[in-house]
Amino acid sequence: MNSKKVSIVIGSGGIKCAAAIGLVKVLEAEGIPIDLVVGCSGGSMYAALIAAGVTAEAMQERTLFLWTSEIMKDYTSNLKATQDGSLRFNERSGLVDDSVMNERLHAAFDEYRFEGLARPLRLVATDLMRGERVVLEKGSLFDAVRASLAIPLIFPPWEVNGQLLVDGAAVDPLPVDVAIQEGAEVIIAMGFMLSNRGRMRSMTAVQQQLNNIYMNNLLKATYAFYNLAHHAEIFPILPDFEEPLGMFDTDKLPDIIARGEAAARAELPRIVRLLEA
Amino acid sequence: METSVEMVGSVAVVAVSGSIDALTAPELAAAINQQIEEGHTNLVADLAGVEYTSSAGLRVLLGAVKETRSRGGDLRLAGIRPDVKKVLDLSGFTSILKHYPDRGSAVDSYGG
Repeated sequence: MNSKKVSIVIGSGGIKCAAAIGLVKVLEAEGIPIDLVVGCSGGSMYAALIAAGVTAEAMQERTLFLWTSEIMKDYTSNLKATQDGSLRFNERSGLVDDSVMNERLHAAFDEYRFEGLARPLRLVATDLMRGERVVLEKGSLFDAVRASLAIPLIFPPWEVNGQLLVDGAAVDPLPVDVAIQEGAEVIIAMGFMLSNRGRMRSMTAVQQQLNNIYMNNLLKATYAFYNLAHHAEIFPILPDFEEPLGMFDTDKLPDIIARGEAAARAELPRIVRLLEA
Repeated sequence: METSVEMVGSVAVVAVSGSIDALTAPELAAAINQQIEEGHTNLVADLAGVEYTSSAGLRVLLGAVKETRSRGGDLRLAGIRPDVKKVLDLSGFTSILKHYPDRGSAVDSYGG
């Protein structure tokens, strides 16, 4: 169809990132080649699965396996313990005991390394100590996905190559820049805005709302710059979600995927037109 | 994509329809640049007929707003459809460009 290098970028967005399954379904059905996959945070998980060539059905199954409330082991008790001072926090801490999450991510990703994936993959994390973007492109996929998913305060950071890494969304929630850096000419970027909260009944809720404000504005600011800096085309795909989704609303998975598919299909004629030109 | 130009007083209204992408953006750039070269620096881009704009289209709008402002004028947007506004919001354009619900209010914003 074309000789242009096509990259898909899946941004942060928790369970909403499953919309990427819908995007890939559409691209694959249309025979649009994917030359590079980039992911961040929740998007890293799907980027990794897409790069590994996992089918849409299998991605859906793995979502149901990975995203259950058990991965939040001890969150509530640890939160209380930090508030009464019985649990001390440092740069390696998280409110969650990550043993369940690690076990599941091991099961999902241990068979893969970056080297040997069906498609080239780049995952974005944040160096907690330096505050810098880190692009992971070699070695264990488990390590990279675990690091990229490490929501600060919630999940403990993850050390990779001597760097203490947290969620890539802290620096680059929709890492279009990585695709540009890798020479992508056509970038299909699926991003997610975080929902505003209704009423806030706790300090944690206010903190989370502030975090959402920071993140949404970081996404817009970085996207605005990359959009103008890129010499070719970026197709932003922003699935609509009528209601805020909870972290573990996996019962809404079919709807999330359908929304991703619909948003991708709306852009499809323009993507095809450009690739055929 | 199609463009047409109409002078309303001293304001040049460039009406655009269709999709602005890498293939059609040069045509839009040419239409806008022609107005600027002719000395019409108070511009309105009427986007009511635009169903889509890509990053290439946004770069044309940015180039035009820089050029008109450097000559003492402006480029203002009118009639942006919701889907296009979503892209303009995401890429910061609605923060740096003045935009109005329709061409009449955009033209009026120049204050006759």
